[in-house]
Amino acid sequence: MSGDPSGEGSGPEKAPADGDLSARLKRLETQLEGKRPKVASSERARNSASGGSAQLGQAMRLSTEFIAGVIAGGILGYIVDHLFGTKPWGMIVLLMLGFVTGIYNVMRVSGFSGRKN
Amino acid sequence: MAVSIDPIHQFELQPLVSLGHIGNQQLAFTQSALYMFAAVGIIALLTIVATSGRAVVPGRLQALAETLYEFIADTVHQATGADGKRFLPLVFSLFMFVLILNLLGMIPYAFAVTSHLIVTFGLALVVILTVVIYGVAKHGTHFLGVFVPSGVPKPLLLIMVPIEIVSFLSRPISLSVRLFANILAGHIALKIFAFFVVQLLVAGAWGVLSPLPLALTIALTALEFLVAALQAYVFATLTAVYLADALHPGH
Repeated sequence: MSGDPSGEGSGPEKAPADGDLSARLKRLETQLEGKRPKVASSERARNSASGGSAQLGQAMRLSTEFIAGVIAGGILGYIVDHLFGTKPWGMIVLLMLGFVTGIYNVMRVSGFSGRKN
Repeated sequence: MAVSIDPIHQFELQPLVSLGHIGNQQLAFTQSALYMFAAVGIIALLTIVATSGRAVVPGRLQALAETLYEFIADTVHQATGADGKRFLPLVFSLFMFVLILNLLGMIPYAFAVTSHLIVTFGLALVVILTVVIYGVAKHGTHFLGVFVPSGVPKPLLLIMVPIEIVSFLSRPISLSVRLFANILAGHIALKIFAFFVVQLLVAGAWGVLSPLPLALTIALTALEFLVAALQAYVFATLTAVYLADALHPGH
C-alpha cells in the first residue's frame, strides 16, 4: 500500500517473476482507490438531487393519503350498509376506521411508524 | 361586464366523431381520446424512433429517452429489488403516458386529459389489478400476508388487519385523486389568475394593477410544469412501491 508511482510503473515487468498475487491485488486496490472518490462524489450529488424530488413527492402524498383513507372507509361503509341493511352502523364504524387508516397512512408516509412504503 | 369567468369550460369533453348511442349516452371519439393517441405517438417517436440510431454517443433526443428510461429503471430497482425488473415496462409506460399527457395539457388551449378523474382512476386500477392478480397468482393465499403487519403483538392484529385492508383499498383512490386533483386545481388556478389580468385591464384605472396577476400567472405556469413532472414521478414511484407488495407480500 506504499502507492508510489514509480513502483507501479515497473510493476508489470516484475509481477510475473515474483508471482506475488497479494502484492498485485494491493497495487490494484491503491490504483482503484485513486479513482474512487470522484465516482462517489458524483453518486452522492445524484442521490441528493433525486432525494430532493423524492421528498417533494412525499409531501405531495401526505394530504391525499389521508383523504383517500377517509373516502375508502366511507365507500366501504356505504357498501356494507347497502348489502346488509345495517343502515347507520356500517357507515359510522367504517368511516371511523377510514379516519384511523388515513392517520395511519400519513404516519407511514412520513416515517413515524418506523416502517417504510 | 363583457368578460365572464368560466374556468371549468376547458375541461369539457367535445365529441369529434360520433360512434352512436347507448340509451341516452352518446359514444364518441372525443378530444380526450385524441390527446391520448397523440401522447402515445409522441412517446413512440421519442422512445422508438429517437433511439433507433443506437449511437454510442447519443444525440439530444436519444439522450433524453435514455435519461428517462434510466431514471425509471433506478426507481423501480430501488423499490422492488432485482426481481422487479419484469414490471419495468409497465411502470415506464405509465410514467411516460402521465408525463406526456400532463405536459401536453400545459400547452395553451390544449386539453389536460389527466384532469379527468375517470382517466386517472383507470390508470390506478391497472396498477392495483396488476398487484392483486400477480400477487395471488404468484403467492396464492400467502398474498394475504400484505394485510398482516409483521412485529405486531397478536391482540393488536384485531385492529391492525382491518386498518391494513382499508389502507390497501385506499391506494387506488389516493393514486388517482392525487394526480387528478393536482392537474385540475392547477389549471383552474391558472385560468382564474389569467382572467384577473383581463378584468383589471377592462376596469379603467385599476389596469395599473394588472401586472401583479400577470406575474403570478407566469410563476404559476412554472409551478405547474414542476407539478406535471412531479406527479408523473410520484405515480411511477408509488406504482413501483405497490408492485413491491405483489412481489414480497408480508412486509
